[in-house]
This record gives sequence, C-alpha cells and structure tokens, in this order.
Amino acid sequence: MAHVSIPSYWKTLPQRYCLIGMKCKNCGTINFPAREICISCKQKSEFEPKKLSGRGKIYSYTIIAAGSAPPEFSEQERLAGSFPVAIVELEEGLRIVAQITDYEEEDLKIEAEVESVFRKLYEEDKIIRYGLKFRPVKKRKPLP
Amino acid sequence: MQKVAIIGVGQTRFGDLIDKKAEELFAEAFLEALNDVDKGIDISEIQEVYIGNSGVGGGQLGNFSSLMTDHLGLTGAAALRIENACASSGFAMRAAVLAVSSGVCDVALAGGEEKMNDTPRKRVRYWLGISGDMEWERLSGMTFAGVFALMAIRHMHEYGTKREHLAMVSVKNHKNGASNPKAHLQRETTLERALASPMVAYPLTLFDCCPISDGASAVIVCRADLAKKYTDTPVYVAGHGASTDRLSVFQREDVTSINSSIVAARQAFKMASVKPEDIDVAEVHDCFTIAEIIAYEDLGFCPKGKGWKLLEEGQTEIGGKIPVNPSGGLKSKGHPVGATGTGQIYEIVNQLRGSVEKKNRQVSGAEIGLTHNTGGSGGTTVVHILKR
Amino acid sequence: MSIGILGYGVYIPRYRINRAEYIKAWGQFAAAGVEEKAVLGFDEDSITMSVEASRNALNHAEVDASKLNAVYFASTSSPYAEKLVSSTIAMAVGASPRVSVADFTSSTMAGTSALLMGLDFVASGRGHFALITASDCPYADPGEFIEHPFGAGAAAFVVGEGAPIATIENSDSTTIEALGERFRKYEEKSIETLGIPSYTEAVIMKTVTSSVKALIDKTGRKPSDFNFVVLPQFDGRMPSTIARMNGFEETQFTPSMIVSQVGDAGAASPLIGLAKVLDEAKPGNRVLVASYGAGAGSDAVSINVNEEIMKRKGAVPSVKDYLADKKYIDYIYYLKIKKMI
Repeated sequence: MAHVSIPSYWKTLPQRYCLIGMKCKNCGTINFPAREICISCKQKSEFEPKKLSGRGKIYSYTIIAAGSAPPEFSEQERLAGSFPVAIVELEEGLRIVAQITDYEEEDLKIEAEVESVFRKLYEEDKIIRYGLKFRPVKKRKPLP
Repeated sequence: MQKVAIIGVGQTRFGDLIDKKAEELFAEAFLEALNDVDKGIDISEIQEVYIGNSGVGGGQLGNFSSLMTDHLGLTGAAALRIENACASSGFAMRAAVLAVSSGVCDVALAGGEEKMNDTPRKRVRYWLGISGDMEWERLSGMTFAGVFALMAIRHMHEYGTKREHLAMVSVKNHKNGASNPKAHLQRETTLERALASPMVAYPLTLFDCCPISDGASAVIVCRADLAKKYTDTPVYVAGHGASTDRLSVFQREDVTSINSSIVAARQAFKMASVKPEDIDVAEVHDCFTIAEIIAYEDLGFCPKGKGWKLLEEGQTEIGGKIPVNPSGGLKSKGHPVGATGTGQIYEIVNQLRGSVEKKNRQVSGAEIGLTHNTGGSGGTTVVHILKR
Repeated sequence: MSIGILGYGVYIPRYRINRAEYIKAWGQFAAAGVEEKAVLGFDEDSITMSVEASRNALNHAEVDASKLNAVYFASTSSPYAEKLVSSTIAMAVGASPRVSVADFTSSTMAGTSALLMGLDFVASGRGHFALITASDCPYADPGEFIEHPFGAGAAAFVVGEGAPIATIENSDSTTIEALGERFRKYEEKSIETLGIPSYTEAVIMKTVTSSVKALIDKTGRKPSDFNFVVLPQFDGRMPSTIARMNGFEETQFTPSMIVSQVGDAGAASPLIGLAKVLDEAKPGNRVLVASYGAGAGSDAVSINVNEEIMKRKGAVPSVKDYLADKKYIDYIYYLKIKKMI
C-alpha cells in the first residue's frame, strides 16, 4: 500500500514539529519543506535553519467530507467526521498545507488568521505520527 | 522528423465492468482499433507498444506491458507501461508519436487500461490518493477532490466563478454523455440536482466529480506518408506538447491555473501552427468540473478568469463556438485513469472523421481538434492537436 | 543569579462536557463540586497538551529552548508505556539534542516530583535551565463512578538560573505503602479503585498532612502565612477536607481551584493550580503546593513570589484565558472521542 515510511517521516520532523525552514545561502529563499536543490534559484545550495513563526492566513481551504478521507485518516473520520484542510500562507511569505483544528464554520475563510499547533496526525503500525496543524486565532489570546 | 497519422482507434465502454479482466478490456479496445483500420493492417506490423496504466488495485504492477502484449498477440514488440497518473495514456500516445517521428518504427500502438471497481471501496481510496503529493498534501488529510476544491475556492475568490458555473459543466457533460453509448454515465442532469448533491470536498459535490470507472482504449499510429496504405480517413497529429508542474499545489505560485497545461498547449499550438480560436472541438481533462473551467483558460479558449463566461454563453456546448467534451468528458464518459488519454484521442478522431455514433453529438465540419490530458492535480499534462 | 521558576504556561483543551450531560446518561454525576470538565479533541493527547503548555512557559520565561539542559515529562496517561515522551516534547519545543530527559509516571504526584527534580538538576550544577511539564487525561471505564470527575490539562514550568519570578523556599515529602486506592495494573486501560472512601481519606490525610506539617515546621511558619494554598483536587470537596485538617482557610485555597471547570487533571492538577495562583500573585506572596499520588505519597512545596512576577504578566495565555475558550459536547460525542464505544 502506498505510504510514507517512518525514516522519510523522521527526516521531516524539524519541519513538522518545529517549523524549521531552510534558508538558501545563495538566494535567501526559505525552502519549507526542505529540499536538496533550492526551490527558487535551483542551485544545489547550502541551507541554514530558520524557525518560522507559525503565524499565517488561510490562502485557500476545503472541507473533506466524512467517508472520503485517505485511509490514514479513517480513524479520525470515525471519531470526528468531516474536517477542513487549508493552504496557509505563512508570515514569511511561503505556503504550506495542513488541517485546521479547533475551528468553527465561520473561521473558514480566505485571509482568516491562523496559528500553528502541534497535534496528532495519525497512527500507523501502532506508531503515533505527530505534526503540524493550524488553529484559528481568536478571542483567546494568540500564542506569542 | 516524420509526421504521424492515426489510422485506427478503439475504446471499450467505460463503466463498472466487473466481469472483464484487465487483459480482456485492453484486448477489446485493441481489436476494435485493428478493425477500425479500414484497409486492414497485419498485427505483426506493430513494432512499438505504449500502454498507460496507473496500477490501481495493484494487479500486475511489474512487467505489465509484457502481460498485455501477450494477450494481444503482440509478443515480440517493444513494449512499455507508462504511468503519469491520469495522463498515462495521453503520454503513451505521445511516446508512440515520438517513436514514429523519430523513425525508429513505422507503426506503433498507444493505449491505456484501468480497472478501478474490483478493489474494495475502502482500499480504492489509497489508490486515488497516490497521484498527489504524499508527504504533505495526503498527510494533511487531503484527497484528490480536495486539491481541486482548493483550486476552486481560490478561483471563486479571485474571479467570481460560482458554484452554479461548476454545475453548468456537469449539466453540459451529462447531456453529451447521455448520447454516448460508451459513456459510464448516460443520464442527463439538472443544475438543481447537481447543486443539491452531497459534498465530497467543499465546494465540490458528487456531481462535480468524475466517477470511478473501468475501461480501455487504443490508438494505432503510423508514418504520415504511409497512412493512405491503411485507411482513406487518416487523422494527422499536427502538434503535441507536454510539461510538468510542481507536484504539490501549495508550492505553486498560482493555484487557479495549471502551468503544465499552459506550457503543453503552447508547445502544441506552435508545432501545429494554429491558435486556440482555430480549434473546432476539444476533449479536455474534467476530472472535476473546476478543472474544465481552468482548462478553458489554460488552453487559451478565453482570457484568464473568464471561463465562467464561456459557460454562461453556452459557447462550449455542441453547436457553440468551441465545443468541449462532446463525449461527456471524464465527468460523464468516465475516467478509468490509465485509459482516459487515448480515449480522448478516440473521440476527437471520430469527431474529425464525422463518424460519431449519435449524430446529435457530432460537431459538424470539425477540422482541427485538441485533446488535453492532465495527471493528478496537474503534475503532468500532455496536449495533442489533430487535423483531418 | 539565583535559581527558581523563570516562567510557566498551561494548556486546557477547549472541549467541555457538563454535569447535565452525565445526569442525562447516568442519572447522577459522581463528581462533587465539578460543574464541567475538559475533554481532549481527537487529535490531542498528553504529549500535544504538554507541547503547547511548554511553548507558553518558554515564551513566558523568555528562555530560548536551545538553552535547555533538561526536559522532564510527568503524566499518568502517556500514550506510550515504553518510549521516551520527553524526547518528543524536547524536539517539538526546539531543544537541542544535548538534554537530559526523563518521563515521570505512575501517580498524580508525578508533576511535583518532576518539578522538584528539575530544580535539583539546576541546583546541583548539572545544567542551567530545565523544562518540566505535567500533562494528564486520566481514563476509566464509562460505567464507573471514578470516571466521572476525570478531565484533562497540562502545565509547564521553566526553572533555572536568572531572575526567577518565584523561588522555592523548601519542600518535604512523605510516603507510605497503600494498596488499592487508585491504581491501574500495566495490562489494564482503566484506572480502578477499591472504592472504600474512609480508606482513601485515611491514606490521603496520612500522606498530605504529614508533608504539609513537616514543611510548615521546617520553614518555621504558620498555616496562615501562606497567601495561597494549592491542595489535591480530585473533586471539589477534597480540598476543603484537607484544608480543615491542616488549618487552612477557604480563601487560601479557592484561587487555586480548577477542578470545578477542568475536572481531575491527574499529575497536572497541582501545577495548573499553581499556575492559576501565580497568575494572580503579587511580589512577596507565599504559596504552598501539596500534591498527592496514590500508592502513596505527597510532596509539599513552599514557594516565595518575587518582584519579577510583574514583568511578564499577561505575556502568554493565562489559566483563565484557556478556561474561557470552550465548546460543549454531548455525552455520545464524549464516548466516541474517548473511544469508549
């Protein structure tokens, strides 16, 4: 079955757990996710880590209907039904895709402010995979 | 570089074909293509074979081409399975054209096959998700429909496209498909019904999504200067183009167009020395209704952001300025992933020859046709321009 | 330079289930003094709660995670029986690989154990900064009374060298062997109790009272010297009972009460209670924290609040901020989300 291996997943933990972008020493572009060859200048560059703030805005979104999610999320679907996924444009200018959690319907709109949170993504082979999700920034004080 | 002609096409019905095995399906399409060569062709003349197949369900994954040539009586020919997600057989067509153009062979077979309905529903979701970015899109819970939904939301936000416009694509294609005996779904629908159907990935409903289909298609090509030996009605490959875009939609500058389509189309138009307004009929990749609207713009049938206008004016209906998806498109004709590309060629060849089964689906006087076949969310695209 | 608490943070999940839902389901809510309690979302667990509380604490303390030398995690409901969880938290907050980690488990005293050991770590000179996080979501079978008050929450403290917002004056601890009070054998999913109230009360009194008395004697203080007292709060009634036995007034322990809105947050409760108190505390205030863990043991800690507490007040979401952000669920959804059905 098509899946992402643990060693592959492990390599992306700096991005998934702590939002570490890799800044190209050649052209300054932050590569997030990390790449061998810079996404912008296409050089096999040297990169230095740069922690992203986790703050951003919804660029686009959709709501995945219950019953259609990828198999990694069938357990989640069983517990919690349909869920939103969004392209988030981060403060630093780059975009990432992630689930939106702890939301109300009215929070799902383009330009809505969101902040990154550390959550369970799914479980495979009894190993829990944690990663990045976003949560609407609301009345409760946003994380600094 | 040799010019290339199409001398025979064949396609099975697309649908839920539970009693046909993969090899049987492809053999059926191939035999029809062979028969379609009106002056006859010897099977041994086919020297190169390219078959598009995505491997859904995980049947014969390794050496698939060898299994197929065996069942077609083509053992001995050089054969290749091609996988570019939903553009697999479009790229198989391209490979066959390039083989003949290069002079390495005189006759080649291109085609595609997919069985999607013999896999349990729960597992077929795995396979549907393999053509998008696995690590980030899929692991955020994204589905194939979800990626196109992201494009739709942004397109609606930037250009004022409405859910009604998406539904219009569905209505048009269902209307065309209802007159296509080989279509998976042969029933007309209404705007109201389409809009009210269950959500799959907001804002896309069931009626915005193509079905899960089985099917096969085949195209026999040869050197243009030899075509009249085989048929009185050859159709010529006037131009082709192919390109890639970033796999992950979130890493694209603009999610309201598919760059691989734009580049592939431009290449094809240049090679064929025609412009978008010269196209008389087109089969475009409407895996989701929004994909058709975006295709209008990417292919240059209208300015960027104005796809909805073509629909409101009925310009893409049969009888309109630029009939799109007279076969019913992926939406109604069906989308057996590996077989769609050469299925589009099958339709355009029939349109250009004037040999479409039901006359109400025939675009009259069509001289130049275009096929547009995209893989996944636009990671790969191939465009062919065909001329009578 | 002195050593003490440099900053703190909490996390409480936003879902709540209230007393009325339990009464609808069971005809009663066997959780005295609990009005509603916090429930984890489907994508949360004790690790994810810890990470947010820890990020808050690090921000509050203005300590860069790369400077941490130790990360300690305390919980009775870690998702893994075997796997270093503090490693996950260490990475998620941005600590370097050069940290000493430890997972504290087995009882609801684990939070204060970890805090005291974190302070010892720095005091011994083994490192400059330590992150201690306690996070819990106790579980029991839906039919059992013991399940009724179980909630969820997390707290985190950054301790180390610098200008502490609070310093530890002293601590004392007691342990006695006590069987069958609140326990879970390793192969079981659900916490159990023999359900003998007088036995439970006797054990709690013996351990908690012993630690509190020893601490008060040691520091030469009186019970009334403490502006705030954080007592074990497995339900709303327990703190009153313990307070009476130790000479504390209601006004001293009420500010630390979270159980009425969060439920029993296991090993995190004493530290969330401490955080709530520090949210309000003024320079010069004294706080006594007493924890209890079944099996059995109790830590009592005397804490002095410094001038520095005023500097970063409001810099991170407070206990009250998290309490105010809530979404109610019904009992059926509760059962689903806790995988009880």
